[in-house]
This record gives sequence, C-alpha cells and structure tokens, in this order.
Amino acid sequence: MTRRLLFLLSILGPGFITASAGNDVGGIFTYSVAGAQFGYKAIWPLIPIAVALIVVQEMAARMGAVTGKGLAALIREEFGVRIALLTMLGLFFMNTFTTSAEFAGIASASEIYHISRYISVPLSLLLVFFAVLRVSGKLIERIFVVLSLVYVTYIVSGALAHPDWHQVIHDSFTPSIDTHDPAYVGMLVALIGTTISPYMQFYLQSAIVEKGSRATDLLALRIDVTNGSVLAIIVAAFMIIANAATIFIFNAAHPKHQIVVNQASDVAIALAPLAGKFAEDLFAFGILNAGLFTAAVLPLSTAYLVCEAFGFEAAIDRRFREAPVFFTLFAAGLIIGASLVLVPGAPLLQLSIASQVVQGLLLPLELVLMLIIINRARVMGTFRNTKFANAICWATIIIVGVIALYYTFTQVAGIL
Amino acid sequence: MPFRDGYLSEFVGRSAVLDAAGGGNSVGKIVDFTVGKPDDAFPRIDGIVVKTMYGERSVPVSDVVDVDANGSIVLRHAPTLPAQPDESTLYLVKDLFDKQIVDVDGRKVVRINDLEIANTGGTLRVVAADIGVAGLLRRLGVNRFAPQLLERVPRMLIAWDNVAPLTDTSPSQVQLSVSGARLSRLHPSELADIISELSTQDATRVVKQLDDETAADAFEHLDADVQQSIIEDLGADRAADIIEEMDSDDAADLLGELDEDKRAELLSKIEDRDYADELEDLVEYEPDTAGGLMTTDYVWIFPHRTTAATIAKIRDLGPETEFIYYLYVTDDARKLLGVISLRTLLLALPTAFIHKLMDTDVVSVSPDTSAEDVASTIARYDLLAVPVLDAEGRVLGIVTVDDAIDAIIPEKIANSLPRFVRHHAKKPAVAN
Repeated sequence: MTRRLLFLLSILGPGFITASAGNDVGGIFTYSVAGAQFGYKAIWPLIPIAVALIVVQEMAARMGAVTGKGLAALIREEFGVRIALLTMLGLFFMNTFTTSAEFAGIASASEIYHISRYISVPLSLLLVFFAVLRVSGKLIERIFVVLSLVYVTYIVSGALAHPDWHQVIHDSFTPSIDTHDPAYVGMLVALIGTTISPYMQFYLQSAIVEKGSRATDLLALRIDVTNGSVLAIIVAAFMIIANAATIFIFNAAHPKHQIVVNQASDVAIALAPLAGKFAEDLFAFGILNAGLFTAAVLPLSTAYLVCEAFGFEAAIDRRFREAPVFFTLFAAGLIIGASLVLVPGAPLLQLSIASQVVQGLLLPLELVLMLIIINRARVMGTFRNTKFANAICWATIIIVGVIALYYTFTQVAGIL
Repeated sequence: MPFRDGYLSEFVGRSAVLDAAGGGNSVGKIVDFTVGKPDDAFPRIDGIVVKTMYGERSVPVSDVVDVDANGSIVLRHAPTLPAQPDESTLYLVKDLFDKQIVDVDGRKVVRINDLEIANTGGTLRVVAADIGVAGLLRRLGVNRFAPQLLERVPRMLIAWDNVAPLTDTSPSQVQLSVSGARLSRLHPSELADIISELSTQDATRVVKQLDDETAADAFEHLDADVQQSIIEDLGADRAADIIEEMDSDDAADLLGELDEDKRAELLSKIEDRDYADELEDLVEYEPDTAGGLMTTDYVWIFPHRTTAATIAKIRDLGPETEFIYYLYVTDDARKLLGVISLRTLLLALPTAFIHKLMDTDVVSVSPDTSAEDVASTIARYDLLAVPVLDAEGRVLGIVTVDDAIDAIIPEKIANSLPRFVRHHAKKPAVAN
C-alpha cells in the first residue's frame, strides 16, 4: 500500500500540481457557470484549450530544464528592467486579486454551513500564514499533493449527477460557436483565462528549476506536463457535466424557477436537491480546499518571483529585516486579498473585471515573451522551439489575444 | 577625456553626434560599452557600441571629444568599425546588465541593475555594481524626470573588486578568471551557500572556476542533491579530482548517493589508488553510523620510537593530514595499542619512548555504532576524536568531534522547506 502510494506521489510532479492549481475557486466558478448556462455545449472548447495548455506548459518546462532559471529571471535578463517591471506589476495585481477570489470562495463555502465569513476568513488567513511560515516544507509539499488529489471529488460529483452520457460524448466532440450570444463569447474568454492562467507558467517553470531537472529529463517532464494538463481538463469537464446535468437541465425544464449561480458556493447549494446532499458537501469541501491551496501558493510565489526578477533577498526562514521586500510582498498579497472580502461594500465586481482585463492582456504578453526567449539560440541552444510548436503557440497567442482584447474592449466599454 | 563619474545607464540610449567640424549630425544611438581586459580589478572601458543606420559600429573611447548636458556623446569621427565580437571582449550592457553576480563581501547572489563608472586620471573604469533600488529607478528613467526622488533612495553599490561575475550560457561569453580567485576568499560554507542559490548550470560554472582544493572544501558543505547535479554536469575527470581532495568521510557520503556505474567511473579516475580503495570500503557503511562518519585521515605511529622521531614524522605528514591532535599507536597489523595526544608528545623529553607515554585505556567505537552513541561517547570523555575499531581491534578510521556534531544536530531548517522556497533558504538553523 505504502509502495503504491509512493509511486503515485512520485508520478505527480510539478506539472500535476500546477495544472491542479489552475482549478482554483475562480476555475470552479467559471466551469460551473459554463455548465449551468450552456449545458454540455460548454465542454468542447476544453479540447483545443487542452492542446494549447500542453504546448504552453511544455515550453515553460523546457525553458526551466534547459536554462535552470525561472521565467521571471529570464524575462529580466533577456528584456531588461522595464518589461520585467510591467510583467511583475501585472502579475502582482492579478495574483492579489485572485487570492481575494480564493478567500471569497472560502467565505461562501463556510457560509453554506452558517459560519460567518468574519470568522472563517481571518481563521484561514492565520492558517495560511502559519502553514507557510512555520510548518516544515516537506510536510507542506505532501499536503499540497494530497490536496491536489481532492480535485477527483469533482469527477465523483459529476458522476453523482447522472448525466446523459451519450449526449455528453456527442456534444463534447461537436464544436458549435454561437457568436450572436455575447454571454457565450464571454464564457469562452473565461474558460481560456482560467485554464491557461499566466501565473501557471511562472509557477511551473520555477518548480521545475527547484527540482533540479535538466534537459536530459525532458521526456519525463513532457509526460508529467501532459498528464497534469489532461487531468486538469478532465476535472474541468466533469465540473461542467455536474452542472449541466443538474442546473442546466432543471432550468430548461422550469423556465419560471431559474436557478441563478452568482458565486461558487451557489453551485454546491443548487446541487443538493438535484444530486444529493453528498454532492453538495463534496463541492463545498472542494471549494474550501481549492481556496486554501491557492491562497497559500499565490502570494508566496508572487513575492518570490518579483524578488527573483529584481534581485531582492527572498527566503522564508530569514528575519524580516533580512528580506524586507519579500516579506512585505507576501504579507501584502495575502492581507489585501483577505481584506477585500471582508470590507463591506468593496467594489468586488469592478475589481474582478479589472483583474480579468489584466489577465487577458498579460497572457498574450507572457506568451510572446516566452516565444521570443525560447527561440533564442543563445539561451536555449539546440532546445529551441520547432516550427510546429511555434505555429501552435502563435495560433494560441493570436486567438487568446484577439478574444482577450475583444473582452477587454467590451468590459471597458461597459464601464464607460 | 570628457566623461564624468556616473552611471552607465545614463548613456545607454542617448545619441552619438559628430563634432562641429563633422557637421554636428547625429550618427546613431549608444547601445553598449566594451571592456578589453575584464579580469582587471577595475576594468577599463575601451569602446562604445553605437547603433547607426548601417548597423552596430564600434568607437574607441578616445574618439569622444565631449559629453553634452543631456548625455549625448560628441565624436571626432563618424564610427566606421563594425562592432565585431572578439573572444576576450566583455560587453557591459549585453553581458552584465540584469545578470546575476556573486557579492563576495555580502556573501550573496544579486542582480546588476546598473554599473558605476569613474574617470580615473584619464581612463574610464567600471568601479562598482549598483544592486539597489536606485539602480532600478535609474534604469526606468526616473532620474530624468524626478532626480530629487532618486537622491533620496539609499544606494547599494558593491565595489567591482568585490564582485565575482558568473559567466553566462552564451558561447561567445568571456571566461572571467578573476571570479575564481575572488570566490576563494569566501569561507567554504559561505561559498556552498552561494552555490546552492544558483541554477545548476551557474553552480557548475562557479565550481569550474575554483581550484580543486577550494571546490572540495565547498563540496563538503553542500547538500547531497546539489552535489549530485554538479557532479553530473562537471564531467568525471574534474569530479574525481575534487573528490580526491575531499575528506574521506564526506567523499564517501557523496559517492554513496550516486548510482553504481557513476561511482565506479569516478573511483576509477582517482589517481591515488589506495585512497580509491579506502573510499570504496567507506561507501559500504551506513551514513549514520561510526563507519559512515569516520575518516581514514589520521596519524598512526609505532610504540618503540622516541618522541623526537615521532614529532619529525608528524612534521612530515602534517601538511597532508587534517587531524593530528591525537596520534594512534599501533602494531604492524594496525592493531590499536594506545593513544597519545599532541600535547603529551610536545611536553615529553625528546628521548622518551612512545610506549612509556601512551594511554593504553583507549575509548573506541565499532563501525556500526550509531551516530548518537558516537557523539555521546565523545561528549562523555571530552574527546576531539574517537577511533573506530574492527572486531580484531584494528583501526579502521576515526570520527572527529565536528563530524559527530554535524550528524546529531537537527537537520538544517533549510532542508525541510518546500523545494519552491528552499532554493533561497540556506542559512543554517541556530542550534539551541
């Protein structure tokens, strides 16, 4: 038994953890709303997204293994202070807001069980601080891996919802784009944004560097990245299925009693009468887990990345005055993220849109920077991109860029 | 020479114009500065790279007749020499800006934000690396629109003779021989901390610049996984040279972590065949036992010698042997008869015989004694080292007090951090 568990843990590499981190509270919400609003028709975009995800993550993994440097360090070394600052500002803003979304998820999950957010959010904040600053790192790493496994609960939730499997498979492989429906385009944007988040490439590459992987390990890295991406996509598909089989079908049958999903926990509540109390509990637990997991990882690694790019001391076991920038960034990300959820009347919606706009602009920028670096012989030697990988990546950049700019435009136009 | 003291970034991106005789026209933009002899303590800047409409051109610093108020340089001739990459030329902007260097004084890895230059009696030299926020702000152009702000930010400069640049992955990059010499000034454990902070490639590059002995000292303080990845990248010949210089217990620990093929390859390349055999034996012991902790680097002497003869022998062996404070008295078969301290030896008459002076009641351990028991034995008897004996009472090696302490104090906090942050967390815990 132990041996089998060890084997399991050993194949769950950085690619797996990174892809799982992509299924955070924002991800759960996006996939759930997509399923609840559009039914099984929301599944097929995940297939091209999966291809793009694998290509992009493989690039990050290869850059980490070949150069032994993180993406933030490479961007600084290859493009200088200005581009690095721009990227890092965008990353910090986006990640702080995403952290806030994680705490919002924790708050709403706890409120299902009648625990006030003014209790659950500060408690979670303390828990994350304590875990990051005090608990042994090996233990944290193992907890992270086990927490990643919790994502399997969504597959169970999906199955508990008794979907019509023939319909699921038919719709998954039948692309249909309803361009006349702005909500459908909005869903596509959200799906891409939450699945290929700019932050994931930074995290994956750093994790690969930390593992000490080298160019000779590329095959294993590629397998890990592909497995992680495929699993993350399957989990996402099951979240869509769970909501399509319940809320979408219910709404279609009851035009006068629509179930509206406004936050991640609404999904859990809606699942209870349709798929059973167990499905609700599983979903709520999944949200709590995703929230804590990402709230711990995001501020820590953002602080680390910024320090990596600008050469500040970064180490969690130093005193504050030895690494002031690192600790300030870490604490700021975490505390701002948690406070936004607790301030009554905080403009959460506007901030959420602003965060998605930044994300939409940052992703094409990040991909272009990655693509330039990965084609430089000086940096990558013989491990430069093939023409094929370049073609897929450029296609991703153009599609993501056009959609993101379109979305940004409509959102900005909506505010003005 | 018209240059004032200042910072390199103040010139990058500014124009190069011809003097009044040449018409005062702009010929291009300053993109880089070159150094011909990068190994100097404060390298002299020889050339300026100007991007003209015909491509990058190189201008000797001596062609600059003036630097005007906004940082443009005024040239005597239009630049005609194509900027040709030369093996030994260091490009300050391309090769050093934004790159990591080792701050030898501060004992850490930092990033170069800017370079401070000074006009030292007619030659322009690189004098310091700016690693602080002021340098970042200057690169962002803050000095142009808010110079007062920049003056309030505290400066963080490292004198260039305290800097050890890491040569980059670029094939055209110069090898700075100075780095190795500067890095050797660090304490081995500090050097090890710095090596652990670098990417494997940079770490290997740093190790390559060190001499075998310094590299071996640093290796003794490195974590097993860092040692391994450097050994892999270093190539077997150099790795074997370094292992040969390491203490036998640390060398055996390192070899024990490698797979059998690699270990056999490295052992076969060690020139001292006896030492290779010894290492091969040592690898067999469990790391947390006396056998795993012991070193074979000790002094053994014969009982029927005089103190004068023995001291002469120590003088002979001393430079090669680290631990000479206890001398182990053995017979021809290396069976332990007694022990004598250096103190006793020095205070005795030159004609006195060892067997009269030696202490025959020797505290010893066996190779499978646990590390804790070895440490408590050493503590209980106030020893500097304890001999490890086989079943027949022959000396296999000794465990010194420092290795015993290392084995029992709790693992460094650094070792228990997540991989993601561990990289930068190498300060050992203070043992309470």
